[in-house]
Amino acid sequence: MAEISGASLQAENGLAALEEYKKRDPSKVVVRFKAVGNAPIMKQNFYKITASNRFQAVIQFLRKELGWKAGDPLFTYINLAFSPAPDDTVSNLYKSFATDGHLIVNYSTTAAWG
Amino acid sequence: MSTYGARHHINHSTPFSTPASTTLFRRLTWEGTIPLEIRVDPKELPANSDRGLECYYVQAPRVSYLPLLMPEIKRFLVDVVFDEAAAESLKEDEWWFESEDGAPLKWHWPIGLIYDNHTISLSIRPSSSSSSFMATPLRLVLHLASPPSDKLLLSPSAEACKQAFMGQLKEADFIRWGSTKRMTSLRKADQDGIWEGIKDHNFDDYWRVASKVTPTTAPTRSQSPPPSSASVHGRPPSADPGAMPDRDGAYSVRSVPVRVYLPDGPVLQDLVPPLLEDGTPNTLTNYLCNTLPLLFPPQPPAPPPSRTKPNPQPPVVPQLAYPLVQGVLTPAEAEMAWLGACLAGADGWVNVCVGLHKDRRE
Repeated sequence: MAEISGASLQAENGLAALEEYKKRDPSKVVVRFKAVGNAPIMKQNFYKITASNRFQAVIQFLRKELGWKAGDPLFTYINLAFSPAPDDTVSNLYKSFATDGHLIVNYSTTAAWG
Repeated sequence: MSTYGARHHINHSTPFSTPASTTLFRRLTWEGTIPLEIRVDPKELPANSDRGLECYYVQAPRVSYLPLLMPEIKRFLVDVVFDEAAAESLKEDEWWFESEDGAPLKWHWPIGLIYDNHTISLSIRPSSSSSSFMATPLRLVLHLASPPSDKLLLSPSAEACKQAFMGQLKEADFIRWGSTKRMTSLRKADQDGIWEGIKDHNFDDYWRVASKVTPTTAPTRSQSPPPSSASVHGRPPSADPGAMPDRDGAYSVRSVPVRVYLPDGPVLQDLVPPLLEDGTPNTLTNYLCNTLPLLFPPQPPAPPPSRTKPNPQPPVVPQLAYPLVQGVLTPAEAEMAWLGACLAGADGWVNVCVGLHKDRRE
């Protein structure tokens, strides 16, 4: 009897732990945008972005700031090196690739390191 | 603490780091397949379709991608299910896949990851039993129109998938070495060849190029003269003054490219050094205890031996969760560097899918 209740308690603990990990990280990280090639320069290039956002949200934000229309080409890179998956979170990218406390996002109107 | 370290050093001399076994595990990873049942959404089936045949079954490679399956699915639909008019009006750029529980499937996830992610999401559903689902195919619904682009994030083309794949390879390269030099120094023909290897599911074509960017597990080459001590093995701790660590070795990387998937999200990624500060290899258990301490509580050490208990066992900690890598229940002592060299997907990433144990005793 004790074993059965112990087992379900264990499953409960697992689900409770999952809930804890599902909580969205409300902290913000500094993203620094850097234009590459002919891409227009932004007036302000440091922004605080919520860490739990997906990279897709960063791309959309950048498109809006640049006044890009749907279909206008925009390529984004981290550290002049690679394009992250759009569903990766800002938090994950920051933890792995931040430089001097910033996540550096390069943007270009043509494919550069593609 | 010293006995702990010594135990690990003995673990080092396993046969798992020989070139032959590296190739074997890479081959096993490559040959892994997933049974898929692909059913066209009955509401979207064109008039005059041969109903009853609208399911396509395929054993798909784990390392492949859904857009690469579309040509054969299309051939099947055109040849068997649709009439001529319907076949002509097929627009593949409108296609998208959904899981049985209504989640759109990402174009840029390896098929093996889609399957493992589905497996762990079943582990928290009350109705399913964890023993029966393994044998059944993963059921996908194919929609022929109105893709939810905001959730799929990519177009369904093989080209978009290739770009996403190359991005992942470069990100893995950057994680390992702090730059993408190895990837960018590949000739264009090699960069294309690595993708062709996946498209054609050709192990040799893929690894001919991939071996230039993936770390090795082979014993250190530069260790000469051969040390006499029997305790020395292929992977000396970096503090060993006589040894030059292998530049391309799995244990020389800055970090192993790893992502952890939890049931119904989130996905976690962080720097995962191959060796701990004391020079011992970073293990899967150590990594999971650090990343997910609530699901993988640290194992307390065994009590010191006494006269009545000369070989004391450590106390039993209830196991809440389990890790899957390439669909395999992975031993706790698996070393992260080894996983990175042998069980990574074709995109260079080790995907650890974490499921929950159900109401059953350990």
